[in-house]
This record gives sequence, structure tokens and C-alpha cells, in this order.
Amino acid sequence: MEDFIGRISISIQKGKVDINSPYPPDMKGLPGAFELTGEALENGVSANDILTKAMIPAMGIVGDLFKDKKLFVPQVLMCAKAMNSAMTHLKPYFSSGEIQKRGTFVIGTVSGDLHDIGKNLVSMMIEGSGWTVVDLGVDVKTEKFLEAIGDNPGCILGMSALLTTTMESMEKSVRTLRETFPSQKIIVGGAPLNKEFANKIGADLFAPNPQIAVEFINSL
Amino acid sequence: MTGKEYITGSFGLIENDRPAWLPFVGCHGAFLTGETADVYLSNAESVVKGLDAAIEKYSPDGLPVTFDLQLEAEALGCRLLFSPSNPPAVISHPLEEGISLNDLKIPGTEDGRIGEMIKAAEILCTKYPDIAFFGLVTGPFTLALHLMGTEIFTAMYEDPEKARSVIAFCSEVAKKMSELYISAGCTVVAIVDPMTSQIDPGSFETFVSEPVSEIFSFIREKKGLSSFFVCGQAEHNLELMAACRPDNISVDENISLKTVKDIALSNGISFGGNLKLTTTLLLGSSEDSERDALDCILTGGNKGFVLAPGCDLPMNTPVENLVAVSKLIRDDYRQEFLSRTSVLADDEKVPDLSGRWSKNRVVIDVVTLDSDSCAPCQYMMELVNRLKPSFGDRIAVFEHKIKTREGLLMMKSLGVKNIPTICINGKIKFVSITPPIKILTEAVNEEI
Repeated sequence: MEDFIGRISISIQKGKVDINSPYPPDMKGLPGAFELTGEALENGVSANDILTKAMIPAMGIVGDLFKDKKLFVPQVLMCAKAMNSAMTHLKPYFSSGEIQKRGTFVIGTVSGDLHDIGKNLVSMMIEGSGWTVVDLGVDVKTEKFLEAIGDNPGCILGMSALLTTTMESMEKSVRTLRETFPSQKIIVGGAPLNKEFANKIGADLFAPNPQIAVEFINSL
Repeated sequence: MTGKEYITGSFGLIENDRPAWLPFVGCHGAFLTGETADVYLSNAESVVKGLDAAIEKYSPDGLPVTFDLQLEAEALGCRLLFSPSNPPAVISHPLEEGISLNDLKIPGTEDGRIGEMIKAAEILCTKYPDIAFFGLVTGPFTLALHLMGTEIFTAMYEDPEKARSVIAFCSEVAKKMSELYISAGCTVVAIVDPMTSQIDPGSFETFVSEPVSEIFSFIREKKGLSSFFVCGQAEHNLELMAACRPDNISVDENISLKTVKDIALSNGISFGGNLKLTTTLLLGSSEDSERDALDCILTGGNKGFVLAPGCDLPMNTPVENLVAVSKLIRDDYRQEFLSRTSVLADDEKVPDLSGRWSKNRVVIDVVTLDSDSCAPCQYMMELVNRLKPSFGDRIAVFEHKIKTREGLLMMKSLGVKNIPTICINGKIKFVSITPPIKILTEAVNEEI
């Protein structure tokens, strides 16, 4: 079992999706996260161990490396791709209830803003740490955030803005959401934001990178 | 010296009496003329009017013709969503939707809004020959992202030849756009490639260095100057950016200006940046903007430095903040005033002035930089001293030089914000202007 857990973890950390994937060059021709996860399950490794001992810690390492600028967007996307390929094997176990997610994270880019790279990275890292992610997409109106919070009681909300002008939309959305859900946990992120702005609009956290968001929601 | 000479002098690493000033007026031009960004960014006439206003208000040495990194993408078939308060956003990626790279043609003035922007460049370069206009061209990596979507990131590993061929095509587009801007009269072509901040040095070297270097060689052949502008956390790629041989590198506030300066000068090129867009220019006061600009000026120096915002100015950036920066760059006294006053902590104890005033005499406090070295301060002191023969011991005149700590503390106690300033019995009466003696005499008589 140790061998499978370690190899799945490494394949995710290195972004090795499957046996046909040419990346990384030093793993060419070797099985990737997809094959190793399938084999692990066939050999009696529990889905829960694969999730909690291989996938989640691997994405945590990826997140830390990204935070420290040792990995960049392309590599993180490859890691997420490897994780998703492993996750396809685990879907039936989630459906049956044998393994469970840590909770639900709702995320969207605020009204008037169409940028999604940062939002998608955060989604991937949070999904990789064992959460269900409800991605509302881009240009999300306040009403849609309200509806999603209502549909997912106890969720954590993440909001992204990449434009100075849509920071205003974010502020309006957070203030409106607080009227209906005063204790809702809200994380905000995006290039023009900072901690002072997050405090000013009443968000619970400014996440300058995905890993800070992951660490925050896992600490709740 | 003309503005254009300040810009070309900076690019040529010539020591000037001040840095060059380049406010990135993109959709902010619409704010200046009361238009919406979507209308403004779609026609030459609006752009010219917007920059007319920017030139009048901000006295720039250089200006971008437009700041719209979607111009080429639109001409190549990306659908855009226009906004009244922002540049448009790309909402579709042709190569993701079944269109092949072979189907795409290098765009020209007949495609999308390119013709309008080149027309604006021609009008502006003719109308303002003393200002350096910048043609902003979408960098090949960012344009590849527009065409392919985020697949460009994973394609670098899974299908590197595809990534390379799309970037090579985008590089040809950039050369064409550079040629159009240079032919229109632009002094500088800036290759703006913000998405390269998201890739590691290895990927930059593998996919970006060569095509971008070729663009800069091309611009040089066409007798233009070049800038490589990357906003975002691009510090890890700065050396590689400089190695592409542009004439200038420009960054935003994510990177320390000192770092950029060291790398640029060690590579024999100029550098620009990095006024804070949101925390000071958009959301701060005029003084916040001045202090931020002063930090940049003191770090950047007068050789090879172009003072500029970190990126496209937000549309509704307060005009007064940019006016303050444009004045500061030419006002050594104001720079010295801000430098001096920055040494006092907010909670520093100031002198108690309650025992300073009496019924028998009027106290005239003049807050100066130093009347021995600052001409406006000297004239103000001379004027005040002219009161002495007629008022005798009914007045007491004091000069508080803010070069000294005592002077700074008095300035703070009196609530003075500018120099030189005349206070009469503790009341601020004349700020930065030397009044006629008659007016000053009347002001003193009011207190007697």
C-alpha cells in the first residue's frame, strides 16, 4: 500500500497525468496518477487512504510550492490535471458515501469581471484538499451568490476580482450577502486587492494565493 | 527640453534634471471626456479628445495611444465583451472552438478597431510632435492565451510544438502592429505581455525569449524604441526580460523599483514604473499619490527612469491625484518638503502653542524650506520682514525652517501642509503664494 500511496502522490506532485502524457520528460512512458489509482484500488488500497494519504497531501505540497514561487501556473494546472485523472476512479466511492468531502466551497468571479484563471486555480487547489467545489463561473451577480449560499448551508464562499472597477462590485456583493447571512465565511482574492480592502468590505480573509485559502478553510 | 526628449533621453540612459513622466491613460481618457470606455476605445476621434485632455491636465512627456490588450485578439476573431468602465474582455478563444491556426491571417488596419487606433496615433503624433507616443502591442504569449484559452499553459508541456507555433504566429502579429505604430509616428513600441508573469523562467526561456527578442530586433530595424512591459508578479523573469534586448523594461508595484533598476541598468537598458494603481492613485489622496511618486523618483533617479503607473490607469482615477504627481515631478521644493515631513511619526509630540499668543503683539510664523536656499521662501520672508518698519514691536516674526526638526514640529503644530506658508496668530493665511504687501498688512491689522 505504501508504494501506491507514495507513487500516486509523486505523480500528482509532478503533474504526471497518465501513461501517455509526455510530461514530465523524466517520467515518459511510466504510469501516471490515472493508472496508479486504478491499480491501487484493484490491489485493495482503500479509496479513503488514496484521498487522504496521497491526493490531499500531494496537492498541499503543490500549493506550498506555488506559494513559494517554486511552481507556476502551468505546472499547477498539470498537477491538477493529474489529480482529476485520479479522482475519476474515486467518484463512485463519493457517490456511495464510503468517502466524504470536507465541506462545500462556493466560488465565483464578481459581477462585471470575466477573469477566471485565478478563480480556477483556487477551485482546483481547494478541490484537491478534499472539498466539493461549486463553481458559479464569472460575472456572478449578488443574487446568484445568495442563491448558492442558500442551496449549500454551511458552505464557505470565495470571491474573485481582477479589475479595480469590479472591486466595487465585490464590496457591494459582500455587504448585501452579510445582510442575509451575517456569519457567512467569505474569502476574497485577486490581483488588485489587499488585506486592508478585504477588512474594509467585511471579508473574513484576503487570500493572496490559493494555498492561503486552502489553509484557512481547513482550519475552520 | 521637450517631453519626447525626456523619454528618449531616459531610454538612452542620459542623466536628466528629472525622470520622464508617462501616465498610462487608457480608458481613463474616457473619464476625462465624459464618455463610456466602450465608445471611447472604438474610435479615433474619442481617443484624440481624451488624450487632448490628458495632455492639458497632466503635462506628460509620453502617452500611450491606447491601452487595450484585446485589440489584436478581436481582429483575429476573439469575441469581446465591452464594458462602460473598463477595457473590453475576451470571451471566446478561436483555437479552442475548432478554428485552426492556418485559418488565421495577420491582421491589418482593416480588421477590428486597429485602423481607428492607428488613425488616432497618426493624428496625435502630428498634433503633438513634442510628446513621445507609445504604441502598445499585445505580447505574443498573452495573445496566444487569448487565442487558445488556458490550454496554452498545459500545451507547453503536452504539445509544445503547438504552443510554439501559436506563439510564433502571435509574434508576427506583434511585428505587424509595431510597424503600423512606428509608421504612424510613435516614438516607442511597448510589448505588453502580462501573462508571462504566470510562467516559470524555464518556460519563459523555452517559449517566450526568442520570439520576443525577434520583435525587439524588428522594432530596432524600423528605427523605433522598445519597451517590454509585464505587470504582475514577474520578478522571477526580470533578468530574462532584460536579456530579450528591449530598450526599456517596465513593471508594476508587485516588484520593487530598486530590483528593476538594478537589473535594467546592469543590462544597459532603461526602466519604468511603478506608481501604485489602486492603493494610492485610485483610492488615496493627492498627498498619498505625491508621496508614492516621490518614493519612485528617489529610487529611480534621473538616469534611465520613466515614472509611470504600474499599469493602465483605472477609468475613474481622481484627476487631482495625477495632477499632483505631474506637478511634483517638476517641483523640487515640493519634493524636498515631502521628504522632510516624512521623518515625523504620526504620533510625535508637538509643541504646545497655547502660551505663544498675546494681546500686545501679533505673531507671524512663516514656515519655509529654508529662505537661504528656496527662492519662493526667500521672497515670502522678505515680504514679511517689510512689515517690521511700520509695525515695530507690535509684531513678532519667526521663520520655521523644515530642514530642522524644530521647524517640522512647529509646522505640524500649526497644521501647515505646504511651504512656504504664512500664519498670523496661529491661523493659516497665505499658502504657497506671496501676497501683495497691502493684503498682508490688512491681514495683520485684522489681528491687532
